[in-house]
Amino acid sequence: MSIKTSAAQGAGQDSPKSATAPLSAAARLRKVHWYQEPRWRRLGALLALAVTLRLMTGEEGTTQDLFLALREDFTGVGLWIWLAIAVAVWAVREFLTDQTSRAVEGTKKVSAGPLDRVRQVWSADKRVRMGVLTAVLALVVFGPLGVERYWQQVLVDQIAIFVLLAIGLNVVIGWAGLLDLGFIAFFAIGAYSAAYWTGALPVQPPVALNNFLVLPIAVLTCLVAGVILGAPTLRLRGDYLAIVTLGFHEIVYLMAKNADGVTEGARGVKVERFSVDLGFFSYEWKLDPMPYYWLLVVFIVLAIFLFLRLEHSKVGRAWTAIREDEVAAAATGVPTVRYKLMAFAIGASTSGVAGVAYASKAGYFNPENFAILLSILVLAYVIFGGMGSIPGVLFGAAFLVWLPEYLREWVDPKDRYMYLGALLVIMMIYRPQGVLPSRRRKRELRMAEAGVGGADATGPAEGRQP
Amino acid sequence: MTTETVKKEQGPAGGSAGAGELVLETSGVTLRFGGLTSLDNVELRMRRGEVLAVIGPNGAGKTSLFNSLTGAYVPQEGRIVFRPREGGEHSLLGAKPHVVSQWGLARTFQNIRLFGALTALENVKIAAETRLKTGPVSIMLGLPNARKAERASDRRAHEVLSYVGLLEKMNELAGSLSYGDQRRLEIARALATDPEVLLLDEPAAGTNPTEKLELEELIRRINTELGVSVLLIEHDMRLVMSVADRVMVLNFGKKIAEGSPSQVQRDPAVIEAYLGAVAEEDEAAVAQAVAEGAGAQEGAGSGADTDTDTDTGADAGAPQWDTEEHK
Repeated sequence: MSIKTSAAQGAGQDSPKSATAPLSAAARLRKVHWYQEPRWRRLGALLALAVTLRLMTGEEGTTQDLFLALREDFTGVGLWIWLAIAVAVWAVREFLTDQTSRAVEGTKKVSAGPLDRVRQVWSADKRVRMGVLTAVLALVVFGPLGVERYWQQVLVDQIAIFVLLAIGLNVVIGWAGLLDLGFIAFFAIGAYSAAYWTGALPVQPPVALNNFLVLPIAVLTCLVAGVILGAPTLRLRGDYLAIVTLGFHEIVYLMAKNADGVTEGARGVKVERFSVDLGFFSYEWKLDPMPYYWLLVVFIVLAIFLFLRLEHSKVGRAWTAIREDEVAAAATGVPTVRYKLMAFAIGASTSGVAGVAYASKAGYFNPENFAILLSILVLAYVIFGGMGSIPGVLFGAAFLVWLPEYLREWVDPKDRYMYLGALLVIMMIYRPQGVLPSRRRKRELRMAEAGVGGADATGPAEGRQP
Repeated sequence: MTTETVKKEQGPAGGSAGAGELVLETSGVTLRFGGLTSLDNVELRMRRGEVLAVIGPNGAGKTSLFNSLTGAYVPQEGRIVFRPREGGEHSLLGAKPHVVSQWGLARTFQNIRLFGALTALENVKIAAETRLKTGPVSIMLGLPNARKAERASDRRAHEVLSYVGLLEKMNELAGSLSYGDQRRLEIARALATDPEVLLLDEPAAGTNPTEKLELEELIRRINTELGVSVLLIEHDMRLVMSVADRVMVLNFGKKIAEGSPSQVQRDPAVIEAYLGAVAEEDEAAVAQAVAEGAGAQEGAGSGADTDTDTDTGADAGAPQWDTEEHK
């Protein structure tokens, strides 16, 4: 026992070698080797990180010389710089703990006063909130006018579309707690609905419609698709549901790819762009990205507005109840299947709107635009930003879509997603609740760590016969 | 083992709906898990407005009975009928749990199952809202009926919370309330659904003596003031004897006795299976210890801990209750 405590306190010296007397089996099991001490493990992890970073930033390999990268990366001075940084970080963390924690405390104390005042003003005065929101909205609406054309394109084609998708997925996974890995399938259904109803597919619709009129139809189609997928599968929980949705995604994707006669297959589809013609007023969306951007901002603001009402209502509370304890929710009278279907359908229709918008903006799409990776990425955006929190999801999607584009200027474009991956790994270790988590989710996570309740409806269903 | 009962005190509840009318009736309910029979031909007759206690040793099938009544388990055989006040009857056998709750049977759980990350108020609102009909569309559009429903559920939740005495804690997280308060919050959540029958699964487990007294008082008030029939699983005999009008005893999934608390207490089968067994075992152990000298204490009182029941139905037939009758 004494061995363990002294080693755990780790007062500078290596593990005591005084254990010369024969140890009992239990004591031997309890014994902590020097390398098991947390500080050495931390050093090891940091050194490994340094090597990884060296490999990430170092020479690129070629097919002519397979070991070029390894040779270059491990012989140059670069490796030593990284290692030195790692050791320095470790040393500061291990030996200057008191100083650093005092510094952190100090800044907390200094910033606590003003922060509290800001918070007070924010929660007390409605006018302040409205003012700030108006300012943010104005910035969102008019800010992009000042950026380069390339970034405007990124903003529309990717950021705005993915933000809309993330808001939809947030309903499913953040609020209802259903792990959906096939979310992009509904995006595809929306896009193909747009193509069908505007007459772009080999099969012709009864009447060719304007893209805007397709929106409600796509919403309905995705709603129905969501219910069709959900009704038989929402009895499943957590991992099982994830697999089923994954399968659904593959079905939709492969159908789009292989049903040449209906979907044009891998050749892709050309879709008309948005246009309005009301007789007295007509407008056509052309190549300039900004009009599309404003249109998408309208969709996004509308979705946020509607969904925020849901969150703080009977429906949002019922979703939380189902997420926390489905058995108790059902016993309390919450029709669990109906509410899960509702979340699924609402999420799916948001995805459908995004699909129509994407098709009508890009003017052309093919099945590769709906690859499985996108479903995973949208999920990552939601989790990164903070499940269940609209500001978090907005930030998560916008930031993570922007980051790889931004990195294009700094690193080898092929490596961009590697950095994204590293960021996600670090994030999940140090801040699993996301950047801007919802209050409910944060509490749930804390309670799950304390061993009270589950953070998700992914646990086994107790008290219910299989 | 008489089924004839003597009502201890005539509560004013149930007066409106003819005394002796059955609100809940089961016959021949049999529930098996593989080869294990958790409930064996259980008959239960519950009168409107009474407090009926279900007692029995660990693993006797009490919680399984609750789960069968509320749709969580589906017994293989038998009939479970619920007769609501407005007439007609519903078969509870295999009904969906949320439907059972909407018909008017509300329950609490042995191992508290609150929505821990929500406040006490929100917990109760969830229950109250299951009685309101507003769809997601009217909520999203903020229509007047959605707002009215929100206000109604808020009012109802406040009402119920003040009834159980948790109003001043309504904004605290359910998970951070004290154990006794969590038990009361579970009862509040069940009451918010406006039930006719309230099923309480060991409401006193883990509470201190003061909280037990408050709980006793609360159960009595729910029964008499609100006219709610109460079906109670409880190990605390003092509580059972003081609040229950009738007691039903289960052992190994079978009903072995039923009657007024005093009758049940005197019933030899019950004494043997439950109340007296502990004493006998102890006596036997003492006798043995005296005969053989010290050191034979082991195992004497091991099966006697009635306050830490963890039966989930699946572990029915725990072997420490070794009665002749069921061999």
